[in-house]
Amino acid sequence: MSSGRTNDARRANDSRRRNFVRSTIKEPSMKSRSFNFSLFGMKIFFLGLLVFSAFQTGVSSATEVNVDCDIQSGGCQKQINDRTVHLEISPKPVKAMKDLTFQVKISGDSLLEAPFVDLGMPGMKMGPNRVILKKNDTATYEGQGVIVRCKSGKTIWQATVTLPDIGSVVFTFDVIY
Amino acid sequence: MLSTSSIYILFFTTGVTIGFGHCIGMCGPIVLSLSLNLKGAPSVWPHLFYNSGRTLTYGLLGAIAGGMASFTRFAESIDGLQKGVMVAAGVIIILMGLGMTGWVRTSVIFRAAPPVGAFLTRIFKQLLQEKKHPLMYLPLGLLLGLLPCGPVYTALLAAARSGMEADTTLGGVLSGAGLMLCFGLGTIPALFLVSRLTDLRWLRHREKIYQVGAVLMMVIGLYFIWQGLQY
Repeated sequence: MSSGRTNDARRANDSRRRNFVRSTIKEPSMKSRSFNFSLFGMKIFFLGLLVFSAFQTGVSSATEVNVDCDIQSGGCQKQINDRTVHLEISPKPVKAMKDLTFQVKISGDSLLEAPFVDLGMPGMKMGPNRVILKKNDTATYEGQGVIVRCKSGKTIWQATVTLPDIGSVVFTFDVIY
Repeated sequence: MLSTSSIYILFFTTGVTIGFGHCIGMCGPIVLSLSLNLKGAPSVWPHLFYNSGRTLTYGLLGAIAGGMASFTRFAESIDGLQKGVMVAAGVIIILMGLGMTGWVRTSVIFRAAPPVGAFLTRIFKQLLQEKKHPLMYLPLGLLLGLLPCGPVYTALLAAARSGMEADTTLGGVLSGAGLMLCFGLGTIPALFLVSRLTDLRWLRHREKIYQVGAVLMMVIGLYFIWQGLQY
């Protein structure tokens, strides 16, 4: 009699333990499944983002950019507000990975602060490459810089001339590699 | 004028933005190839070693550029080496792809290849074997850090300028190395993220993907060789 009761109690205990184990195993496995699912979703999202950004890099570098300055033949000029900005790069031909002199002439009154030139490629991040200009005479500023080479083989570069407190103007030109 | 520490921070943040804005597109295929080559093996350490190697090379290049205090002289002196590295990178990627397909045995590849020195051969063999030591990705990173890259040139330009402003050659070496190390460290998060995303261990049936990936790697390798010859 007492052994039967003990057996019943043992069976009840066993089933309670089994239920407990099942419940404790089931819950984390469901959690891990949902975790796996969210991880999967995240991976797909970021992979998509990665493919998109790689595609964008390719597309933006492949997009036709209008060259508005024939720097190989001479200087170029553009208008900003009521001032004319003239950019000249020497020596010719203008080649990448060579020491270059950048000369900027600005019409009108003398500037309070010296202008500067930022070099970059359209649609491609190349890192900050600023040419610091120093005053030569009242209207001419000059500085040394290097246009680096891009592995993509694209040769179109941009020089953004900034006149502090006035604005900036972009010259797009072709460089020889 | 920027303080010394803020220049290093600026180079690190430049590395971060360049990493996400440029390296993902341009160096993503290399990272993808390395991930595929791991064939489901844990990828954290190999990629950390690869990125450490790359960053150390940037540091070394920065030290030389800073010491020479002239970017153009420095760039001219490494021009031929960079072309060679580009072709070598292509060959390595093709060999890794071939090793993955199982079409050609590793031993056959090495019997056909020219003698490249016992140390290099050991590294190659390790990279092509099924089980690779994660540390083998360090020399690969050191080598591939020499690949020509526009933003790296821009950072080296600044490193050379810091050398010009330094009082001594040693000062130039140290500042150039420091700036390039910070830049390299900044590029790690983007490429590491790519490596995590291209880790396909979560896929059950990935053998087919590896086969396609191996062919893709050979195409990438050929593209690198072509670019190296054109450069």
